[in-house]
Amino acid sequence: MTVRPFRVRTGGTDRGGRFLVPLVLVMALTSLFPTLYSIYMSFFDWNWGERFNFVGIDNYVSLAGDERFRTALLNTFVFTISAVAVEFVIGLGLALVVHRIRRGVSIFRTLLLVPLMVSGIIVSFIWKIMLDPSLGIVNHVLQALGFAPVGFLGDPGLAMASIVLIDLWWQSAFVFIVLLAGLGSVPMEPLEAAEVDGAGTLQRLWYVTLPLLRPVILVVLLFRTIDCLKVFAIIFGTTGGGPLTTTESVQVLAYRIAFKQLNMSQSMTMMVIFALIVLVIVLLYQRFGATSGEGA
Amino acid sequence: MTNPLASRRTRRRLGDAAAYAIAIGATVITLFPLYWLFVISTKPPRDAFASPPSLIYIPDFSKYISIWSTAGFGQAFINSILVVILGVTIAIIVATPAAYALVRFRPRAGRFIKVWLLLAYAIPEFLFVIPMYVLYQSIGLYDTQIGLALIYQVFAVPFAVWLIQSFFMEVPSDLGDAARVDGCSELESLLRIYLPLAAPGLAATAVLVGINMWNEVTIALSLTFDQSRTVPIAVAGFRGYAAIRWQEMATAAVLAVVPMIFFAALAQRYLVKGLTFGAVK
Repeated sequence: MTVRPFRVRTGGTDRGGRFLVPLVLVMALTSLFPTLYSIYMSFFDWNWGERFNFVGIDNYVSLAGDERFRTALLNTFVFTISAVAVEFVIGLGLALVVHRIRRGVSIFRTLLLVPLMVSGIIVSFIWKIMLDPSLGIVNHVLQALGFAPVGFLGDPGLAMASIVLIDLWWQSAFVFIVLLAGLGSVPMEPLEAAEVDGAGTLQRLWYVTLPLLRPVILVVLLFRTIDCLKVFAIIFGTTGGGPLTTTESVQVLAYRIAFKQLNMSQSMTMMVIFALIVLVIVLLYQRFGATSGEGA
Repeated sequence: MTNPLASRRTRRRLGDAAAYAIAIGATVITLFPLYWLFVISTKPPRDAFASPPSLIYIPDFSKYISIWSTAGFGQAFINSILVVILGVTIAIIVATPAAYALVRFRPRAGRFIKVWLLLAYAIPEFLFVIPMYVLYQSIGLYDTQIGLALIYQVFAVPFAVWLIQSFFMEVPSDLGDAARVDGCSELESLLRIYLPLAAPGLAATAVLVGINMWNEVTIALSLTFDQSRTVPIAVAGFRGYAAIRWQEMATAAVLAVVPMIFFAALAQRYLVKGLTFGAVK
């Protein structure tokens, strides 16, 4: 009889198990099954129709020499690194500014968050209208200020930068809101001690605030990196990957190959490789201490 | 000679003024594109893209009526509402007991499950979109609201588990222990103690998961055709082959965005926690 309360108090792992059954079932159907299916299909040649042949690693071999896939990978990395870096700087700057403000913090926080509530496809259309070379408001303003009109999304040299610009407007608020919350939980004592020791504003930021925010910063960077690697809607809705292939990300290319060229196996092979790259990046973040969920 | 204390105060005032100026500037840049979208949707067709843009005009709201019967937008709106209701319900039912188990029992498999959730959330959509397309075609779930609501769990469940976990962790574990001593089963302690105490958090979770589903593009584009097309896909549909119907598109876009801003305002208190996946207290 004395065993029972003891066991009840600690709670056996077997008792928690049944609460996890629905999750395991749903996640198996929505993530495990399709992943295994994609890996399986990557060893076949299939075009939605009758043609269905086992080809071994041929898909992987042909993809290794595929110029367009390499360009898409490169585009995706260029986009991710630039967007995440600049969003971090903007978000951190805004968080420091709003953190300093005493009155109206909640108003600024609420208004600055609004872009996060807008669907990516709508974001892309808003900016397609605004960045239009002849009719867009941005070029009107530039011309009124005496500048030559800019091609933005239609200019091969500027298209990727324009996509990054759109993402900055859309997602910087995410970095801002998380870091603002993080700043609110930074203890005052180390900052005051540093000030007494004669540290300037930048020194306090670099040597005190940022190290204290490290766990929060890692979570922000992790989720921004994941989102950026998956980039699709804001490219699909603006350039569709063009001009030429200058803005074609891996997911945009996978969509085109699967649904326009109907080459399923090639698309799936591509996604298997890309998913592997994404997973390695996520696990690297975890190694550096980024935790999801139960707090930093 | 200036008083050093006074000059320090002036410097601080100047700093404050600069902070306000930057915050106001950022807010204007943030809101202007959405304001412009609204302007495009309410200008008379002739003025919409006039050069230079006319700043003063008589707004014309007629498109906000006609849009509902244009190009299936009304149907898409209903579809989106159905997908969100179904999807949020499934996500909450699946994620709540899981979050409870992770917080309360700390099972040995917990670590494995947490990594699985993170990786599932990180998977690029087209890895699972094509297999789900094949599966859905064969079992009749392609282009259905329930099919879409089901596949949305791949991002909704991890997100909901992270959030609900963080709300459950705020419930004092003494309460749960006391319930055990009083003879409550684990299910009863979840339903009678944890759920009521975390109810506002759960509601906020539902709102945030719903917003994510409402705005989703990649999966909806691939797994719906015309029967269960959602709002973002309908908005994209105004980009026809011949010409882009910018004004209809802008009207539809405004109608898609406004409810989300409303819901975000409702859940505002919990929004920070939600957006940070519970990582910041």
